[in-house]
Amino acid sequence: MILIAFVLATAIAIAAIALSHTNRNMNAVSIAHGLVFGAITLAALLASPIPINSFIVGSQFFYIDHLAIYEMLITIIIFTLSAIYAGGYVESLIASGELEKGSLRLFYAAWSLLFLIVVLAFCSDNLALFWIFAEMTTIISAMLIAVLSAKENIDAAIKYIFIASTAMLFSFVGFIFLFQVSRSTIPEGTLNWTVLIQHASAFPAGMMVASFALVFIGFAAKSGIFPFNTWLPEAHAKAPSAVSALLSGVLLNVGIYAIIRMLALVHQTAAIAIVSPFLMLFGILTIAIAAFSMLPQRNLKKLIAFSSIENMGILLVGLAIATPIALFWVIFHIMAHAFTKASLFLSAGILHRQYHSKFSGDAPDEIRDVFRLQPLAAWGTILGGLAIIGMPLFPIFFSKLFILLQLGTVSLWLLLAVLVLLFIAAAAIGYFVITSFTQVSPKDAPAEIEQYMTPLSMKIPVIVLIAMILVLGIFFTSGEIGFINQIVMELRF
Amino acid sequence: MTDTAFVESIIKILFVVVIVAAAYIISTRNLLSLVSVYALQSLTLVGIALCLYLIQGNPVLLAIAIITFGSKVLVIPYFIATIQEKIRIKRDLEFHYLNPTTTLLLSMALMLVVYIALSRIIPPASTATPGLFFFGAVIGISLMLMGMMVTFSRKRAITKVMGFLSMENGVLIFGMFVTELPFIIEFLIVIDLIILVLLTTILSVGIDSTLEEFHNRLHRFYLWEEKEELP
Repeated sequence: MILIAFVLATAIAIAAIALSHTNRNMNAVSIAHGLVFGAITLAALLASPIPINSFIVGSQFFYIDHLAIYEMLITIIIFTLSAIYAGGYVESLIASGELEKGSLRLFYAAWSLLFLIVVLAFCSDNLALFWIFAEMTTIISAMLIAVLSAKENIDAAIKYIFIASTAMLFSFVGFIFLFQVSRSTIPEGTLNWTVLIQHASAFPAGMMVASFALVFIGFAAKSGIFPFNTWLPEAHAKAPSAVSALLSGVLLNVGIYAIIRMLALVHQTAAIAIVSPFLMLFGILTIAIAAFSMLPQRNLKKLIAFSSIENMGILLVGLAIATPIALFWVIFHIMAHAFTKASLFLSAGILHRQYHSKFSGDAPDEIRDVFRLQPLAAWGTILGGLAIIGMPLFPIFFSKLFILLQLGTVSLWLLLAVLVLLFIAAAAIGYFVITSFTQVSPKDAPAEIEQYMTPLSMKIPVIVLIAMILVLGIFFTSGEIGFINQIVMELRF
Repeated sequence: MTDTAFVESIIKILFVVVIVAAAYIISTRNLLSLVSVYALQSLTLVGIALCLYLIQGNPVLLAIAIITFGSKVLVIPYFIATIQEKIRIKRDLEFHYLNPTTTLLLSMALMLVVYIALSRIIPPASTATPGLFFFGAVIGISLMLMGMMVTFSRKRAITKVMGFLSMENGVLIFGMFVTELPFIIEFLIVIDLIILVLLTTILSVGIDSTLEEFHNRLHRFYLWEEKEELP
């Protein structure tokens, strides 16, 4: 029932977008779309216990457990807030001629479709089906990047498609391997995760390593892990900011989600002893590459994009430790990172509108008088920056702290290395904020920059997101802890 | 049933055709023949699927053959050829890191590596008729890697698309020989592939295009504005 409701709601939303003519109407449709999805999920949550087993869900293709619900809720919140933000942002893109009026329908239709496909991906039980949805998210999000139709956007989109899709083919070979592996215990073979996890302990370890390595290639590319990280800064920096928030907050999770599911299977076998150091190596390399790329970065959106890569590295390190506590905080970090990163990109979007074309590309930002012109975006960036580097009171502080503590039990040297790298990343953000936000034009100079009147619809999502991360960081409800514990249990760690 | 040994030797001949086509895709600079060679490669795949059907009698293989014929032999090549006419590029002379000779040598080395690696991973007993099926897996993975080299060594987006498509053919061969997946999955993959090709070729018109109008459109955006203001 729940899946049919999702598909129906999306079909209605796309039809309504096709019929409407103005940005305001289409935007209202996509906000309503987000709210309806939220309502459907909440209704399903209240109506039946998790894992949800109603019509179609619970068949051999779809299944919703705690992890799926968790990722879906994050997705729905970020999509809805970004949709609210997109109203004012797209208006300004059209006014400046960066987005053609003819592309409006395409933009909002792709937005709604992407929303549906990400949610369906999280609901899929069959791994091959999940692969197809993940591949579709690449295609549709590339459309959202290329919608600005400037040459550099098309370039970024094509790079994204080629790197992600090429790597994803390896994942598919990995799943074919897994299917073959499953036939050693289940004669007809299966790719259903719920069945696989029950039989995983009997799978041969060598084949599991090969299968995991191939699957990892694809989903590592999808979540921007070294050495497949090259598309990420380009795509995230050049996409419209409302889309960047989705790319960072939601789509990176799709890749990590698959890695978690696959790791849960591997964890049942002896193969974990081989896979774990491998994940640790890639995690630390990813953090290192991101930290050193952040240091000389003078372009705000690129800086934030590299910080996403860094956080994906932290998640990998957490997964490599493979203890229940580490997994608990990895799951928590996914949520904390998604909300923080969305708020940062939305703030950066306001600055982008204010200082315009100057930093749409690789050019360094020329931010001046930021506290006079855009006080909210400036404070949003500062608070978001503090949150992302893991200052106390913010949720990322806890997830980073506990992942690092767990890392200390594995090896103190690794802990030291990661700490230094995290410090470099934090310094890069601090340096950027201090140098660019203190640029003030002389008092008597004529005001050259016209103030961009930020519409309320762009301010509200930033405020809501920052309030949310503050609340997340200060209050730990027992419900939240219980929920994440459930996830860890279902992954059989 | 037909004589299995005879069909197997036909499959082996078709393998050779697939590899020769892949070598041509890697080394050619002529874009027009690239599409026809790709169509030929896909047609060979259809042949392989039909031969396998004769051996195994699994109806899924027949369905795969039909889908492959419809999409990869007819629709996708036709679409790409139409696009190529529009953007008026006939040659792709630029190579990123590797020139054709090195690429060919490298792909031979790759096949050897894949052979050795797979013979360690796949235990021979796990497949029905070991020789042929193991060989199919090796060809599939090698084709994937060769396609990947095309994707990374060529500059034009449209040639990259051909490399990607050739990779996908490799996955299909691997899938056919190693295991049989449910039909619905194969079907969805083809749909996914068609969307991907449509989008990338449309986008690559933007990148590869030599048309004046496209560049004129770009001038309206802020990227080019600074240059325009100068004189």
